Amino acid sequence: MLKPGDPAPSFDLECALDGRIARSSLAKICSELVLLFFYPRDFSFICPTEVTGFNKALKEFAAEETTIVGISIDDVDSHLRWARELGGIGYPLLADPDGNLARAYGVFDDQQKVALRATFILDRKRKVVFAASCPLNVGRSVIETLRIVRALRTGQLCPADWKPGVEFGPSGREF
Amino acid sequence: MTSVDPAEKRRLFERLSSVREIVFGVQDGVLTTAGVLCGLSGAVSQHSQVVLAALASTAAGALSMGAGAYLGTRAETEVLSAELELVRVEAAAKPYTVQEGLLDELCKEGLTREAGYRIVRLLSTAPKALASTAEAKMFGLSGGTFGRPALDGIVMGLAFLVGAVVPLLPYMLIPGPRYDLGGALVATALTLFGVGYFAGWLAHRDDRWRSGVRFLAIAMSAAAAGYLIGLAISPLGATAG
Repeated sequence: MLKPGDPAPSFDLECALDGRIARSSLAKICSELVLLFFYPRDFSFICPTEVTGFNKALKEFAAEETTIVGISIDDVDSHLRWARELGGIGYPLLADPDGNLARAYGVFDDQQKVALRATFILDRKRKVVFAASCPLNVGRSVIETLRIVRALRTGQLCPADWKPGVEFGPSGREF
Repeated sequence: MTSVDPAEKRRLFERLSSVREIVFGVQDGVLTTAGVLCGLSGAVSQHSQVVLAALASTAAGALSMGAGAYLGTRAETEVLSAELELVRVEAAAKPYTVQEGLLDELCKEGLTREAGYRIVRLLSTAPKALASTAEAKMFGLSGGTFGRPALDGIVMGLAFLVGAVVPLLPYMLIPGPRYDLGGALVATALTLFGVGYFAGWLAHRDDRWRSGVRFLAIAMSAAAAGYLIGLAISPLGATAG
């Protein structure tokens, strides 16, 4: 699995976006941060809580100059039907049917043949600045991911449980 | 078009659930008693002593098999109920795990992930339906899986008695040192063949005769082995006597 500081593998894949099939390329995303979240499968019972959770927080992430991209091994038609089932998703769901992108990020579960629940945040240079993964049966916290995005955007030393309004750590130090 | 009455079918399945006890009990009763008769006929010369020993063996066997079936079914029911309760508690606390597990099982049975998802989502609107379907699909358990200890015990004990009487009656009624044992063995063979045939008939098998022959082969093997063991230990009886 990639770690902070690693260059993010690029992608140019089919995706479902706003009810239609499109393409999504990392090179064409121009926001300050990119949030990539891998999830195991469409039409499951934990993934939709994450997919819709990120969708509900779309505006807050956009306010932080962050583009959200969801990725699973399902094909783009499945993504389309899944997004429709969930009432529409406002960010791209990338189709990675061979799991190549998941492998490039080191989050492909060879036993289950799905991507792990892994989250990567990429900076302006498209280097990984945050990486985390959960077991398949545990969903991620959208609020915590947003907190990390906000903390990353400050460029300051952020103590544990930091959130906007809380004092930063001493300046002029890296950690 | 054939109409199936679910209630009638359910009653039939409940009756058939005792088949295991009936087949097991009759088979064991016939084999045990035939084995005792063969063994003692080789070791003991007095007809009445053989009959008494076989009667004692029959009574002890019926009680033992009945009690064994009762205790076994009761233990199985208690263990399975406890496990099911654990699953229900976990399902209530983490419904996602049950939903995902059930979805996986439905996909393994040929449904597409999308179709399976819709079914599980529909089932999830009724927690009891979700739980019972998940128990059946994920663990192979349902209300009908659990036996009835008292009934199983009684059926098993009675089946053993019925089976034991089959070789015992001709042995008691037919005079003559050779014909009595021969009659018992013929009755044993016919009964075991009949039990095998009956089991095959219940299972709607085309090869009911083969099922009967398999039972017969087991009977002959057990009887022959019992007789040979009796012959082998008879010198010990002579020494002790």
